[in-house]
Amino acid sequence: MESVSFVVNGERVAVDVEPRSLLVDVLRDQLGLTGTHVGCDTSQCGCCTVQINGSAAKSCTMLAVQASGAVIKTIEGLAENETLHPVQEAFSQCHGLQCGFCTPGMIMATVELLEHSPIPTVEEIRQGLAGNLCRCTGYVNIEKAVQSAASNLRTMRDRDAAEASK
Amino acid sequence: MTLMRHEDLRLITGTGKFTADWNLQNQCYAVFVRSPHAHARVTGINCEAAAATAKVLLVLTAADVTAARMQSVPSGPEIKGIDGAIIKKGTMPVLAIDRVRFVGQPVAVVIAETAGAAQDASELVEVQYEPLPAVASVEDALQSDAPQLHPGVPGNESLRFESGDLEAVDKAFSQSERTATLRIDSQRLYGAPLEPKAITVAHDAGRGITVVHTPTQGVLGMKAGLSSISGIPVEEFEIVSEDVGGSFGLRGGASAEHALLVLAARQLQRPVKWVATRSELFAGEWHGRGLTLEGSIAIDHDDKIAAIKFHDTVDLGAYNCFFGGFIGTNNLSVTMGGAYQVPALYMQSRLVLTNTAPVSAYRGAGRPDIAFGIERLIDHAATTFKLDPVEFRRKNFVPQNAFPYTTANGTVYDCGDFHSVLDKALSQAGYDTFEQRRAAAKQDGKIRGIGIGYYVEKSGAGGAPKDQVSCEFSADGTLTLHAVTGPSGQGHETAFAQIMGDGLGIDPLQIIYRAGSADQSLVGNGTGGSRSLYGTGSAFKNLIDEIINRALPHAARVLNANAEDITFSDGQFMVRNGAGGISLFALSKRLSEPQQHPGSQEHPLNCTAETVTGANYPNGCHIAEVEIDPETGVTDIIAYNAVDDLGNVISPELVRGQVHGGVVQGAGQAFSEAIVYDDNGQLLTGSFMDYAMPRAGTLLNVETDTFAVPTELNELGSKGVGESGCSGSLPCISNAVMNAFASVGAGPLSMPYTPARVWKHLQKHQ
Ligand code: FES
Ligand code: FES
Repeated sequence: MESVSFVVNGERVAVDVEPRSLLVDVLRDQLGLTGTHVGCDTSQCGCCTVQINGSAAKSCTMLAVQASGAVIKTIEGLAENETLHPVQEAFSQCHGLQCGFCTPGMIMATVELLEHSPIPTVEEIRQGLAGNLCRCTGYVNIEKAVQSAASNLRTMRDRDAAEASK
Repeated sequence: MTLMRHEDLRLITGTGKFTADWNLQNQCYAVFVRSPHAHARVTGINCEAAAATAKVLLVLTAADVTAARMQSVPSGPEIKGIDGAIIKKGTMPVLAIDRVRFVGQPVAVVIAETAGAAQDASELVEVQYEPLPAVASVEDALQSDAPQLHPGVPGNESLRFESGDLEAVDKAFSQSERTATLRIDSQRLYGAPLEPKAITVAHDAGRGITVVHTPTQGVLGMKAGLSSISGIPVEEFEIVSEDVGGSFGLRGGASAEHALLVLAARQLQRPVKWVATRSELFAGEWHGRGLTLEGSIAIDHDDKIAAIKFHDTVDLGAYNCFFGGFIGTNNLSVTMGGAYQVPALYMQSRLVLTNTAPVSAYRGAGRPDIAFGIERLIDHAATTFKLDPVEFRRKNFVPQNAFPYTTANGTVYDCGDFHSVLDKALSQAGYDTFEQRRAAAKQDGKIRGIGIGYYVEKSGAGGAPKDQVSCEFSADGTLTLHAVTGPSGQGHETAFAQIMGDGLGIDPLQIIYRAGSADQSLVGNGTGGSRSLYGTGSAFKNLIDEIINRALPHAARVLNANAEDITFSDGQFMVRNGAGGISLFALSKRLSEPQQHPGSQEHPLNCTAETVTGANYPNGCHIAEVEIDPETGVTDIIAYNAVDDLGNVISPELVRGQVHGGVVQGAGQAFSEAIVYDDNGQLLTGSFMDYAMPRAGTLLNVETDTFAVPTELNELGSKGVGESGCSGSLPCISNAVMNAFASVGAGPLSMPYTPARVWKHLQKHQ
């Protein structure tokens, strides 16, 4: 057993893990954060996407010990108190989820995507989500959700900027 | 901010509960030992080292299964074939006995304190195999000297099935000058719901109940399957299935893994958990499709279809499992005439066993395949005889005034308006101006094609005689609905709440849906055959009437009026003379007060309702426009237009979602997905690395619309939607690709149209 500590969704946690434990398994099984899913064993599906030190990463491709000291955000930490993140809202409103198994990973990947491309082209969306599989939606509404979240985020940012300059 | 669906909040915040998310106190973990051979004799299993490993609790092999008197995995219905012959089955044992017949077949299971310990110990189980020659394809399996899989299935042929009138078809063919034949392969696929299979079983000795946490399409089917394997009565099972990460036919029944976990949990008196790896599911979970259809068409002098026949071969895999036999017989033949008035029809199917994973249902389960077969055949005939594919279809459609229409092999289509659906789709797709777009693409060095797929499918599945529903009103006014059908992304919670909310004038957000609650002994079908909305939904429609009837006398009492003088509309009971009113919502809350109905614990409006409804015939026209880059072989779906007749639509958003998903699963089969075995039965596509799933951008532009011809076969007037996307997309995409090929003089190619295959195909024709 190795002991590791990191910050998860704003809280510092210390856990004893097996050296071979994957980060995703520790998040799910030891920390009870089951919103991060496992859909494959070859790093293809993206269900396990979380944020590590501010950028999206597949938590199945990483040993828990490698994440020692990191700041991690999972789907459970995305909403601020009761307020959903605009990406979460957009996925629901555009019907970008059906069974919802891919959704946490999709949302985390989208958050990252929109940070790099606040006004994403269709091509950028497709590239940004190339590492995430969805078997239910056919991706059509997921693409719409990303566009809609992008425009909502821009509106919010503009509003915040206007407030700040007052 | 209101969310679109009731189920969304938990799913977008990561608080849903999929099976692997459950952790029970004191649980231990199972790992399976699976066959690395396609065909081998098992001469011995030595579990000593595994069993002696630290933290290992139990190792089970076939001997333990036999000692527990477990039966085989359900092998499907006793289908009748030619001359009354009954299907010959090779049934699948829960753990391999003496022989393994496909790579991935479970041979043993190890249970340990931790998943890691179980994994390590599973690698210490020594199985002695004596490899046998394997047959990995139907062609090989049907050779006269082929290795035999099962003693009870000589020649590896499980059944030869027929439907229709061979004599009439032969006669029509002999009298027709124009006949065409086309072989179409619907390659083997893996359905791949994104949630890997997971099961946790806990035995509650106190209550004598075995609780099975599992993804499922319906608890009754799951219980029946568990009971048939284990011999434990259905009443002693409880199924817990909250969120299900996709099903597509793969979550229909109890598997060997379910049965083994039941056995282990009861022996150990501890909860046992198993979460599959994706790789073991690629090999060990059942596959879909695996059908070859050889279709022939005879056309008379005025371009009317005189006859259609199909000769199919159906790859069942190594064992008869679940719906495998049903797909290649009933599901293929029932709509084999498609949307056309064909005077003579005949189908013959050979069901064949091979050393590959068993094949069962995958979205559509034969429906997309036969739609693909017919519509490819229609286009192939049109190309061969220089007929206009639109006019040829129009000329042969079942006309609107012919409904109810009985096909030549006895299927009754109750209603439809194929001409109007086609017209709407053609205009939506800009079909008339396609040649201009083709010419423009040619300028850019690209090859464009357009293709039509007009499918008619029979929705409806499930053996339950009826669909029952019930409801419970609570003191805060919320209404809880119960039924059997289990959701896996379709939005049951939203759609059923909407039906009930509309009917009762209650805010749908006050309505909760629960599938398969243990304390409700309802009868009903699971999710399957696209039937949940119209089957269970219709029962809810009846429940609305029942609730209103029950509420009426109470409303009369509260309003101080005679029941005859009270009307109900928009959620309100009103006295006819306008002397007062009360909403059903307010009344239900009031009736929750115990003094309102002394002597009874139960809310007086709690009740049940049911409906009996079988099949109906959704249909639609899908049109794909594709563009091939001859330099790379890459094909893009430039535009996709669908117009579906799904009868009355309850939720357009949910319907669009179903169609998108189905269309892209069809596109996946058309362009990339294929399960491939080598000649020795080794699986070559064992992970998402080599099994190419569709990704974002598969459809560049998609437009879906509906044209409703309500059916009278159920209370809602709705038809099934879940499988329509696959049934429309396989044929129209393929026809579009073939249309593009034909424009440069290239002939047909079978799926998947991967860049490499398309490029090679085009090179050959240059
Ligand atoms: S679980 Fe599939 S990519 Fe991580
Ligand atoms: S919503 Fe089911 S996998 Fe994406």
